[in-house]
Amino acid sequence: MITFVLSLTFAFVWAAITGSATLHNLILGFALATLALWIVRDEMSCRGYFGRLGRIFSLLLLFFKELALSAWKVATLVVRRDMDLKPGIFAYPLTVTSDFEITLLANLITLTPGTLSVDVSPDRKTLYVHAIDCADIEATKRDIADGFERKIMEAFR
Amino acid sequence: MIAGLLDLLTALLVLSGAAFALVAAIGLVRLPDLYTRMHAASKAGTVGSGLLLLAVGVHSAELPVLARALAGFFFFVLTAPVSAHLLAMAAHKVGYRLCEQSIRDDMND
Amino acid sequence: MTGLILSWSVWAALVVLAMAFLLTVWRVVKGPTLADRVVALDMLTGIVIGFIALIAIRTGFTLYIDIAISLGLVGFLATVAFARFILSRGRPARPKPAELAEALLAPAATRKKKTDTKRKGGTGPAVRRKGGK
Repeated sequence: MITFVLSLTFAFVWAAITGSATLHNLILGFALATLALWIVRDEMSCRGYFGRLGRIFSLLLLFFKELALSAWKVATLVVRRDMDLKPGIFAYPLTVTSDFEITLLANLITLTPGTLSVDVSPDRKTLYVHAIDCADIEATKRDIADGFERKIMEAFR
Repeated sequence: MIAGLLDLLTALLVLSGAAFALVAAIGLVRLPDLYTRMHAASKAGTVGSGLLLLAVGVHSAELPVLARALAGFFFFVLTAPVSAHLLAMAAHKVGYRLCEQSIRDDMND
Repeated sequence: MTGLILSWSVWAALVVLAMAFLLTVWRVVKGPTLADRVVALDMLTGIVIGFIALIAIRTGFTLYIDIAISLGLVGFLATVAFARFILSRGRPARPKPAELAEALLAPAATRKKKTDTKRKGGTGPAVRRKGGK
């Protein structure tokens, strides 16, 4: 956190010195500040920050891959002649606990292939997910647990 | 050369975006019940309009415009699951049933 | 050359989007229940955003992006408001004429769908009276 604030400050200093406060100049300043802080990462004892940044980035990458895949899957499903669907709602036991993580996971689940989060139980232990193909629920659950949930825990803990 | 490449990329984005929108509409018409229709609208539909918006940013070949287009794309991608989730939750609470092909419903205990 | 390809593909995309628009309107008109219509209206907003983007490419006015974003915002708020409305109205639609339409679409399904639903404790009758008008 302190590293983030520091990079932000450096970005503003960069913008002030170069004399233009446009958005990309700020972004460039931020990138430069992050790079500079990364060089002195051992002296600053902020190793975790860059690892976390990388993990958030990998979560983002996974998300876009799944989004593209999911749109494609819906497309192939819809143009099929026979609509042999086995839809249903299954309960997914949550491992993540905080509100932010549950929200993120629910949103990610909605945008992944064949699943749509419907509701969270009042005690925040289960997430109800509507799946377009309920033939193999255990595999779907395993996919979510090993994919998004693990990555979210890695990125935000 | 660069302009030609950008034109081709824009054409590709435009065509695929429109195709995804059409697929989402077909899904909306063909799928059997509310929840499955929501799948089509919230995924293919979002990707469709997002790609078209991205095409504008690429076509203009200016950084501020591209940044705005990207912001719009992220905005759509972030709001679509929220509204789908809210609607599905409301519909299920009020008692819209799943279609008859559905094989399980853990929420109706 | 590439400009020609681009203008042709924008035309093609306009036609394809128009088809998607008509299909979605069909669902809005037909939609057995209110929730179906809301989903279709949400989709309609997305398609209109696509139209605006195509017009922006054709005319070169990049200001259209802002319009598209604000339309997306309005559409999102409308969907959220509709969801709250469905929740507060608390009554599933009567699938009377809808049953026929759905039976045509998905032959083996949706025969004995009935309006028997789980209601929250005491609020049931009041809600039903309000909705039954």
